[in-house]
Amino acid sequence: MTTTSTETAVMPGAVAPPAPQSQRRRRARKDRAGYLFLLPWFIGMLFTVVPFFASLYLAFTDYNLLNPPKWIGLENFADMFRDPVLLKSLQVTFVYTFVSVPLSLAAALGVAMILNRGIRGLPWYRAVFYLPSLLGASVAVVLLWRYVFGFDGIVNAFLGWFGIDAISWTSDPDYALTTLIILHIWTFGSPMVIFLAGLRQIPVMYYEAAAVDGASKWRRFRSITLPLLSPIIFFNLIQSLIASFQTFTQGFVMNNGGGGPANSTLFYNLYLYQQGFNQFNMGYASAMAWTLLVIIAVFTAITFFTAKYWVNYDS
Amino acid sequence: MTIERPPGSSPEINRRNLMKLSGLGLAAVPGLAACGRGFGGGGDDESGDGVTLNMVWWGDATRAEKTQAALDIFMEANPGITIEVEYQDSGPYQDKLATRFAANDAPDLMAMRMDSLREYADRGALLDLSEYGDDIDLSGLSENAANLAEVEGSVFGVPAGLNAVGFVIRKDFAEQYGVAVPDGNTWSWDDLAAFAQAISDASGKEVYGTGFDVQTLQNLVVWVRQQGEDLFTEDGRLGVTAATMEAWFNLVGGMRQSGAYPPAGFFEEIGGSADQSYIAQGKLASQIIPTNNFLGYNEACGGNLALLRIPGETQAVRRGQSVDCPHLWSVAAASKHPKEAVKLLDFLTNDPEASLATGTTRGVPASSAVAEEIKDSLEPDDLVATEYLMGLQGEDLPRSYTYPPGGSAIADFLDVIAVEVEFGRQTAADGAAQFIADATAAIEG
Repeated sequence: MTTTSTETAVMPGAVAPPAPQSQRRRRARKDRAGYLFLLPWFIGMLFTVVPFFASLYLAFTDYNLLNPPKWIGLENFADMFRDPVLLKSLQVTFVYTFVSVPLSLAAALGVAMILNRGIRGLPWYRAVFYLPSLLGASVAVVLLWRYVFGFDGIVNAFLGWFGIDAISWTSDPDYALTTLIILHIWTFGSPMVIFLAGLRQIPVMYYEAAAVDGASKWRRFRSITLPLLSPIIFFNLIQSLIASFQTFTQGFVMNNGGGGPANSTLFYNLYLYQQGFNQFNMGYASAMAWTLLVIIAVFTAITFFTAKYWVNYDS
Repeated sequence: MTIERPPGSSPEINRRNLMKLSGLGLAAVPGLAACGRGFGGGGDDESGDGVTLNMVWWGDATRAEKTQAALDIFMEANPGITIEVEYQDSGPYQDKLATRFAANDAPDLMAMRMDSLREYADRGALLDLSEYGDDIDLSGLSENAANLAEVEGSVFGVPAGLNAVGFVIRKDFAEQYGVAVPDGNTWSWDDLAAFAQAISDASGKEVYGTGFDVQTLQNLVVWVRQQGEDLFTEDGRLGVTAATMEAWFNLVGGMRQSGAYPPAGFFEEIGGSADQSYIAQGKLASQIIPTNNFLGYNEACGGNLALLRIPGETQAVRRGQSVDCPHLWSVAAASKHPKEAVKLLDFLTNDPEASLATGTTRGVPASSAVAEEIKDSLEPDDLVATEYLMGLQGEDLPRSYTYPPGGSAIADFLDVIAVEVEFGRQTAADGAAQFIADATAAIEG
């Protein structure tokens, strides 16, 4: 803001000859070009903003897609508290998030630290570990996962060597969510790449000084790595939390769109989709979407609030 | 010498060519092509007094080819009418159809799922075909078929074809393990259990004797009807009792316990095609299929399948089997060209030429006369399924009723409860009681 005003104040004096009028015209042309470049974004925004506010309105209506929406006030939100399936889907989503996010961040940090020790062929390893996260939410990988964890799959064959009975990883309601959590942990690639970048920012002299003082490896990790990496951990945590609350594909593909077995992988977003498109309750689905926004906002806010106790910003 | 056009100045890049290009891309990747083309786009050929109909359905590339062949015949006979077809997989199809109605952009003629019919019809979205009696002749349909989409005197759809559920048995396994294939017309549920037990025992559970979905409504419907009840009653309520549901869970539970039926967790939903089915993989000796898939399954099983009726038809309180359809054809109430759409529907239903082109991709032709006429052109496996169905159609079966609105949620409830019972997390009695409570609430809510 300030830079623009100083620029406009200085420029006419500095570049004296051109008349102010052509000056304005040139600036207008420049602006036009700028807006032109922004145009795709504005058009794209329309497709976001309009449904955004439409869904806010629909959240307060009874809307079955075929007849005009009917205003019913807060009834959709009240219904949510009485819907056992919705509560089940919340439970699934919370368990999934609170188990898999810490574990996948720990895995990401662990692998990043191993890769940070200056091994040869780092770009190659980095790519290999990053790859699963590009594919993790894709249909193909979830399908592959079903084969790996299938009744005759690799995992059961491996367990068989130790005399452990085959487990129905994908069709037993006690195990299906665990299988998806393992899949999530496996896709630690993108936080890992960010961790790796963060680790490289930490000056080596700190470690050297600590080593001279006789600090153990664990001590160095706790007192140097963790505090200096905390802003990065914070960033990754927020990112992972938000993404995890919005999980959809895994549950959708696992059981042909059903969230089964026995709703054990019925993520909140999957139930929202079922309500909107299968049950024709688009008003209810919109209310669910806005509730999810609030839930995510609350957890993000809590994370931000706790940040001042554990995130170290001074260098 | 040819004069090369400088790159970038080519006038050839327009939407039409891009679409052609993407079409080529699709053709080059048959797997993708099977996923279908999206909805929307295309078709601004409305020159003169021509009428463009938009027709949508779900299915694969083979079905698309056969359908197009029939439509080409229609367009040739009706030069004023152009038909713009869009198809895709059944899952995304449902979503797309709902959103198109929401956007006031309903297609003229569409494939309609039986369990979605009243979701649309009760909300006034579909054309009442009984008001178009002059344009479409439904007299060739058996009463069973004509009634499929009838709601309180109005008709909101015509069966695109007819099918039923049937039991298939692998004759090669029966022979290998020295078990006789039961008589499909008279066998009972006890006969099934005995047959399945013998296979499982003789094969050391390499092959399980039988395995069918407890949670598939089409299977449950037959069982419920055999007990003298209706899953859904004529006035759109839940008609099944908890005792009947419990017996259904116990029927499978008993066989699972004795090893005739695979253990809990055995069935994973890996692919839905005949090739990937457990019976084709040689892990099951018998299962229930929709009869219009008989050809595909029999091919996948090396031609070793026998097609039987559902057990218990002669011992039960009454007949349980019914004539169903893979899907209905419905016309949108908001169609700008209802007459033409109904005319096309009449062609698809009553003109043997249409059915000769489409074959039995959507089941046996709904009109008995047409079905009779195309029989000679069918492959032997299709003929088996067709005769099975025409046999059923000639019999006196109790009438089946449409799914009530909210009926689609019931499949979800049953899916959850069946798994709870399968893994012993809920007793059959508790599961049955919960199903009644949930389903009643879904229909009345």
